[in-house]
Amino acid sequence: MKLLRVRASNYKNCCDDFTIDLVAKSKRTSEDKEYELQEIAKDLYVFNTVAFVGKNASGKTSAIELLECSYSILSEFRLEDKHYNYDNVKLEIIFYHEDYIYKYNTGLKSDPALGNKANFTRQHLYRKKYYKSKMKEIYSVEGFEEILDLGELPEDTSIIFFILKKKATRAVYFNCDGEGTDTWRLLFRAMKTYKISENVLTKVIKVFDDKIQNLKMVDDKHYKLVYQNYVKELSDSELIHLLSSGTTKGVLLYIFVVAALENGFDLLIDEVENHFHKTLVENMISLFKDKTVNRKSATLIFTTHYCEVLDLFNRQDNIWIAKSDSKIRLDNMYGSYNIRPELLKSRQFYNNAFDTAVNYEDLMALKKELMR
Amino acid sequence: MKYLLMCEGPNELEVIRMLLEHNKLIFTADDLLNLTPYHARQIGNNAAVKTALNLYQGNVHVLRIGDKLSDELKVPREYKGKIADIKKYCTKPELEMLLIISENKELDFEKRKSTTSPKEFSKENVIYNRSRYDNSTAFYREYYGKQINLLVDAIKRYKQLKGKHQRDEFYLADLLK
Repeated sequence: MKLLRVRASNYKNCCDDFTIDLVAKSKRTSEDKEYELQEIAKDLYVFNTVAFVGKNASGKTSAIELLECSYSILSEFRLEDKHYNYDNVKLEIIFYHEDYIYKYNTGLKSDPALGNKANFTRQHLYRKKYYKSKMKEIYSVEGFEEILDLGELPEDTSIIFFILKKKATRAVYFNCDGEGTDTWRLLFRAMKTYKISENVLTKVIKVFDDKIQNLKMVDDKHYKLVYQNYVKELSDSELIHLLSSGTTKGVLLYIFVVAALENGFDLLIDEVENHFHKTLVENMISLFKDKTVNRKSATLIFTTHYCEVLDLFNRQDNIWIAKSDSKIRLDNMYGSYNIRPELLKSRQFYNNAFDTAVNYEDLMALKKELMR
Repeated sequence: MKYLLMCEGPNELEVIRMLLEHNKLIFTADDLLNLTPYHARQIGNNAAVKTALNLYQGNVHVLRIGDKLSDELKVPREYKGKIADIKKYCTKPELEMLLIISENKELDFEKRKSTTSPKEFSKENVIYNRSRYDNSTAFYREYYGKQINLLVDAIKRYKQLKGKHQRDEFYLADLLK
């Protein structure tokens, strides 16, 4: 299963028909096919890496959360514990699965019972066989046939269940908040779930802090740490205080990088620069682009303020610029701007080619206030 | 010091990958920048290569693999201090010369080389496991993957047959153990 496109209306403060399309649009060179794209079916290419950029409060997080919402439905067939209002949201999710293109339409409604769950209303599921010759018309209504008589499910369970059948991790989302003292418990649980060896953990930890020689979980709340040749037994909160918060967050995220690459699910990260050093961001991008490591078509999707990271993208159609006037909208760098590919993308950001610069007058107004 | 191996096309990359897998080269994957060979014509427009160069702090020797490599490799300003030298390893006029040699059809090709390119000749004359050569990476893997010595022999014989490269054009054979 691979998500191709999601479109939402009445979702958060976004414009109607708010759309994120993960299928490659611009010319695909042989180098792009090697590093930037994955061929999920003959001539159907999706991105290895996707970025959302924009200034503060422009809607980057809303965009990545829409993808997270789609993946929740595709993974668990449910939506719960989101912090936005589900009522009246209309979703269209288009995905590829076993030779077919599926189009799923649904409305969302808050479940009246306790708990923060969404119910699915007015659900329709269509499919058509994928043909390479019709690659350009994959989204056109032509050829889609509705799948009827799927059966009954509780209203908080999506009918996508009838197609994908088994719950599975199809993406993991990292927001900026971190998991606090729960981080290490979560990390060891992830290692068990995704069968990641202790050897990998040791190597990941060394990248972040080479003074740590070994770390093992004793029980849910206690850990054994070998640190500069000393063995210490620590509680979870002691461990968090001993290791820097950057190390803690970074190790957890890198363990999920390993899990995503080995299992072929997608990784969504809000504000990638919040988690670690630029080299580690670059290394992560490099791992997703290397098919000898990324053997199961995992995609890295992130938001960033860090426009230099975009110079490491060869293409423009996998970069979206989030903008917020009265409503949030997304502009695709390839579809909406005419930027010569040889120009550095970061330089274009500083030149304000995408209208993303922080307002100079506002900065000076603040400075004047401080000069009084 | 690391080698940045830049293959001009996906087929050159596949040939290098097979040689690396079978440990036939004078270096191993450990000696390569980011542990991997690259498919890249230029550095400036290949983000994967730029990312790899950003990860490594030492000197890098660039080895370019391609048929003619007549275009000059332009090193972006930010990497000028990092790149120690650049060498070209050619299989001119085209990589398909290796297939023609492996098929022992170099004499047939000689007769037609004024009108037919090695690629066209191979598409007409090279058939393996009932598949005709189609310029695909998969064909190279199929053809040489399980008979790596055939590839090594072709590379060596290419050097014997094509001893007229320019002084700055090395042979793939020069990279063999």
